[in-house]
Amino acid sequence: MPSLRVRRGAVALLALAVVYLIAAQVGRGRLPDRIWMGAHYVENVQLLPTWHSLAEEGAFLLESGILLDSVLVSSGRVFIGLLLGSLAGIVLGLLTGWGTRVESLADPWVTLFRFTPALALLPLYVVWFGYGEASKVLLIATNVAVITLLGAHHGVRAVPRVYLDAAASLGASRWLRFRKIVLPASFPSIFNSVRVAAGLAWVTIVVAELIDARMPSLGYLLALSGAYPRVPTMLIGIATVGALVLVFDLLALLLHARATRWMGRAG
Amino acid sequence: MARRSLLWILSLAALIVAYTLVARAISRPDVVPPAEDIAGAFAALLGRGHQLPASDMPAHHHHSSDQVDTLTQEGVTLQASLAVTTARVLFGLVVGLPLGMLMGLLMGWSRRADDYLHPIYVLIRSVPPLSLITYIMLWLGHSEAHRLIPVVYAVAVTAVIPTYHGVRDVAGKYVVAARSLGARGRLLLIKILLPAAAPAVLGGLRYSIAIAWMTAVGAEMLMAENGMGNLLVGGGMWSSRLQTRSDPAVIVVGILALAAAGWAMDMLARTVSARLTRWAT
Repeated sequence: MPSLRVRRGAVALLALAVVYLIAAQVGRGRLPDRIWMGAHYVENVQLLPTWHSLAEEGAFLLESGILLDSVLVSSGRVFIGLLLGSLAGIVLGLLTGWGTRVESLADPWVTLFRFTPALALLPLYVVWFGYGEASKVLLIATNVAVITLLGAHHGVRAVPRVYLDAAASLGASRWLRFRKIVLPASFPSIFNSVRVAAGLAWVTIVVAELIDARMPSLGYLLALSGAYPRVPTMLIGIATVGALVLVFDLLALLLHARATRWMGRAG
Repeated sequence: MARRSLLWILSLAALIVAYTLVARAISRPDVVPPAEDIAGAFAALLGRGHQLPASDMPAHHHHSSDQVDTLTQEGVTLQASLAVTTARVLFGLVVGLPLGMLMGLLMGWSRRADDYLHPIYVLIRSVPPLSLITYIMLWLGHSEAHRLIPVVYAVAVTAVIPTYHGVRDVAGKYVVAARSLGARGRLLLIKILLPAAAPAVLGGLRYSIAIAWMTAVGAEMLMAENGMGNLLVGGGMWSSRLQTRSDPAVIVVGILALAAAGWAMDMLARTVSARLTRWAT
C-alpha cells in the first residue's frame, strides 16, 4: 500500500491529465484552427492537441530519432557548461570565502556578472566566439559559475567560527583546516547552488538554441514547431525539456543525499 | 575596512586598465571595443548621437556602426528601452509574486494541499518559461501577452518555495505557540504566520527579481520590438535576429545598464526587507 502522500500525488497528476483530455476533446472543433501569425494566416492549428495526435507525433519524433538526437545534443551542452562553470565557480567561491583579500579583489567583477541577466551576454558571446558550440557552452558556464561562486562563498562564510578555532588550537594548519572543516561544511551550500544553476542552465540553453536554430537540438525543435506552427511537436518539446530539468534535479538530489550521508539525518 | 575598500577600488581600476590594454593589444574594435567606442555608443544610445551630425564635430571621435545606426533610425534609446524592460519586470513581480506566494502559503499551511499540489508544482517548475513563448503566441496572438506571461510565470514559480519553507518550517513553531495561547483565524494569519514567514519570503524576493530580469530580457531578445533585449540584438524582425553583425560596444553598454538596474532593484529589495523584518534580528 503506497503512502497517503504518494497516492494523493498520483490522484492530482491523474486529475490534471483527465482535465487536459476533456479540454482537448471539448476544444476540438470549437477552438479556432485558423491563426493569424502576424503576417499571414495558418490553417489547421490544433491549439489543444488530443492525446491521439500527441501520441502520433511522439511516436514519429521517436522513430525518426529527432527527439533522441535533440535530447543528446542539448543535454551534452548543458552538461559540459555545468561542469566547466561549477568547477570555475566553486574554486573561485572557495577562494573568495576563505581569503578576505581575494574577496575584495574579486568583488567588483562578481558584482558585475551577478546582476547581468544571464541571457544578455549571448549576443556578446556570439561576436566573440561565433555561432557554434563555444558560445552556447560558455554562456551556460558563465551563468553557472556566478551562481556556484556565490553558493561556495556563502558556504565557506557560514562555517561556524568555533570549528575553525577549535581545530587551530589543536594545531591544525591552515590547509588542514580548509580541507577537513571548510570543504565538508560548505558542501551542502555548494550543492544547492549547483542544483539551482542546473535549472537555470536549461533555461539558458533553450533560448541560446532558439536564436541560432540550426543543428538538431531541443531549441531547434521548438523553433521549428513554432515556425510552422505544429503544436503537438511544440508541446512534446516543452515536455521533454521539462522532463530533462526534472531528471537533472533528481540526479542532483540523489548525489547530494549520497555525498552528505556522513551528516546523518533524523528520520 | 579602509584596506578593503582600497583593494576594491584597485581591483576596479585594474579591471578597466586590463580591459583597455587587451582592447588595444587585440586592436579589433569590432570584437573588443575600446573604452571610447563604448562611451560613444552610450552617447549615441542616449539620443545625443543623431542630434549632432558628424561633420559638426570633426575632432571628436564619433562612434557609428550598423547596430547603432539601425537603433537610432528606429528611434531606440537606452533610457526608453530600460524603462520598458523595467516596466515588464515590475509587472511580472506585481502579478507573479502574489500568485506564487499564494500557492506557497497553501502548500506550507495544509499538509493535504501540499500532497496534492506538490507534484503539479514540480511539473510547472520544470518547464523553462521562455520555451512557452511561441505557444502563448498561438493562443493570444503577437502581442504584449507573450512577453509578460513568461515573466509572471518565472516569478511565480520562484516565489513558491521560499514562501512554502517560510510558512512550514520557520513559522511552524510560532504558529504552534500562538495556537496553544488560543489565537485563531485571521489573527493567526496576519499577526503570526505572515510576519514569521516574511524573512524567508523576502529572501526569495531577491532571487525572483534576478529571474524576472533575465526572463524579460530573454523574451525581448526573442520577440519584442522594444526593451533592452531588443536593443541588445539590434532591433529588426524577431525572425532574423542575430543575422546581422552586431556591435559589441552597444552590447557592453546594454549589459552595464542592465547590471546597474538589477543592482539598484536588488539594493531596494534588501533595504525594504531589512526594514520589514527588523523584529527578527
